[in-house]
Amino acid sequence: MNATATAQRAKGPLVWLDMDQQALDDAYDQLVYAPNRDQVHKRNMFNSDRVRARLGAPKRLAYGPKPIEQLDLFATDKPNAPITIFIHGGAWRARTVKDYAYQAEMMVRAGAHWVGLDFDGVEGTNGDLLPMADQVRRGVAWVYNNAKSFGGNPDRIFVSGQSSGGHLAGNVVTTDWSKYGVPANVVKGGLLCSGMYELKPVRLSKRSQYVAFTDECEEELSSQRHLDRLNCPIIVAYGTYETPEFQRQNREFAEAVKKAGKPVTLLVAEGYNHFEIAECIGNPLSLLGDAMLKQMGLV
Amino acid sequence: MATGAASAQPAAHIKGPLVWMNMDQKELDDAYDQAVYAPNRNIVLKRCVRNSELARERLGAPKRLTYGPTKFEALDVFTAKTPNAPIMIYVHGGSWRVGTASQYHYLAEAFLTAGANIVIPDFANVGDVGGSLLTMADQIRRSVAWVYKNAKEFGGDPERIYVSGQSSGGHWVGVLMTTDWQTDYGVPMTILKGGASGSGMYDLKPVRLSKRSEFVKFTDETEQKLSAMRHLDKLVAPIALVYGDQETPEFQRQSRDFYAAVKAAGKPVTLSVMEGYNHFEVMESIGNPLSLFGRAALEVMKLRPA
Repeated sequence: MNATATAQRAKGPLVWLDMDQQALDDAYDQLVYAPNRDQVHKRNMFNSDRVRARLGAPKRLAYGPKPIEQLDLFATDKPNAPITIFIHGGAWRARTVKDYAYQAEMMVRAGAHWVGLDFDGVEGTNGDLLPMADQVRRGVAWVYNNAKSFGGNPDRIFVSGQSSGGHLAGNVVTTDWSKYGVPANVVKGGLLCSGMYELKPVRLSKRSQYVAFTDECEEELSSQRHLDRLNCPIIVAYGTYETPEFQRQNREFAEAVKKAGKPVTLLVAEGYNHFEIAECIGNPLSLLGDAMLKQMGLV
Repeated sequence: MATGAASAQPAAHIKGPLVWMNMDQKELDDAYDQAVYAPNRNIVLKRCVRNSELARERLGAPKRLTYGPTKFEALDVFTAKTPNAPIMIYVHGGSWRVGTASQYHYLAEAFLTAGANIVIPDFANVGDVGGSLLTMADQIRRSVAWVYKNAKEFGGDPERIYVSGQSSGGHWVGVLMTTDWQTDYGVPMTILKGGASGSGMYDLKPVRLSKRSEFVKFTDETEQKLSAMRHLDKLVAPIALVYGDQETPEFQRQSRDFYAAVKAAGKPVTLSVMEGYNHFEVMESIGNPLSLFGRAALEVMKLRPA
């Protein structure tokens, strides 16, 4: 079950680092390394239902004009509480943040508001990632501008994201916020889990079949190239059963942030694959859950 | 490439004579072989061992205390910060033949942070004692009686002792909660105030008919005495049952039928089904206080997650 992409075959010309096209395609195909993807997803939906049964349905609020531009808010009863904003993954394809409510209870219990953003998948943007990054950035700006309306503290906003949501969270923490009319330090900290921070190898992989990469997209949304804009402490995390290329993306990003002299913590979750590590974000006693709560000053 | 589907099923075969319910020998053997249905067994077990190491780094080593004369009879105690706190005793699984308390330290913090002491006994594996589950049962029961008598020495409340366990440890929870404590161990019949059992076995007949008989020396006495389902008259505390819907159908049936029997006996019992969890993932989940299993174990103690 410790799946690896080592089917016997003749190796083709190298496309990225030591990988030929097939190896690179496999490196960006989680199912090759995590055969229990669908089972974990089932578990996530089940646990999300349980959380809604315990906490009640979230508030559904619009952060933008498109129907998809809404968010789920699980509110804590503590006044002026910090806020965590979660950006879901799914290889940039359409997903619903409803299936990630399982992460909310840990935060609400610890005294924070949990906000989960819905936003377009590439299906809704003709394959363009730039409008998706704009949506999640607008989502964050909306939370800043409206935090007080739901008892949140606009000066204690944190973000997290996993997989392609980790990529987008990387974009969020390297945003030029002057374009959004909010302070440059709107985000106070982040958890970037199993993300991609350099899009060149992704563009070279078969993900190009459904993502319409352009030079602009690659440049603008490779957060590793915009570390000058990073101004909050971040946690970068990956699991040891993720694809080696995903592990590399996270290791090298953390290294680059460190080299830039900015605060970063690298967490390696031993024995977790790409989907199992996301579950840890909902467990206050896991490596990731504990680190997030500490980053937010909640434990 | 992927070497195993997430929720595996046994390979197709020509069906032989029925041995138990609708199962032939091969199907019954598979039903009691977790790896057939949970291909990630070794990954999850390794992860729990690693998370146990990390837990010890945070908590420090547990107290190691002896409860009996043989080399196996010692237990690990992680003590709560508050005095006179309730006690959870976790009985580990491993098909009765593998496992040590130290591999289960990963679950300690779920109880400690909620304000309870956590005790994890070691005991002989079935291979150490000539295949006798009765010898194991006596060790585990003595560990519980020892905790009752010595609770105050580590700050525990002897009047608030609970048990939990999973797999063969779930079998032991059933056995412990249907023990004749007063007669056999000289402690109150109400020594246990509640229990949480994950993925357990409560009737040993089908287990005896399976290939587990190759390493467990089942006798009529073993089967009768250690089938909790047959001793519900001795059950005097609430029990929470949990299983995963990716477990073997026979393990799921064991929990469902035990639940129905306890309920029919008019005694307090709950059943939680964890969707998307296999046998080992249920085991792991008790370490997460927000999971169904972790929460069930805390609720039976009248505690809430921290």
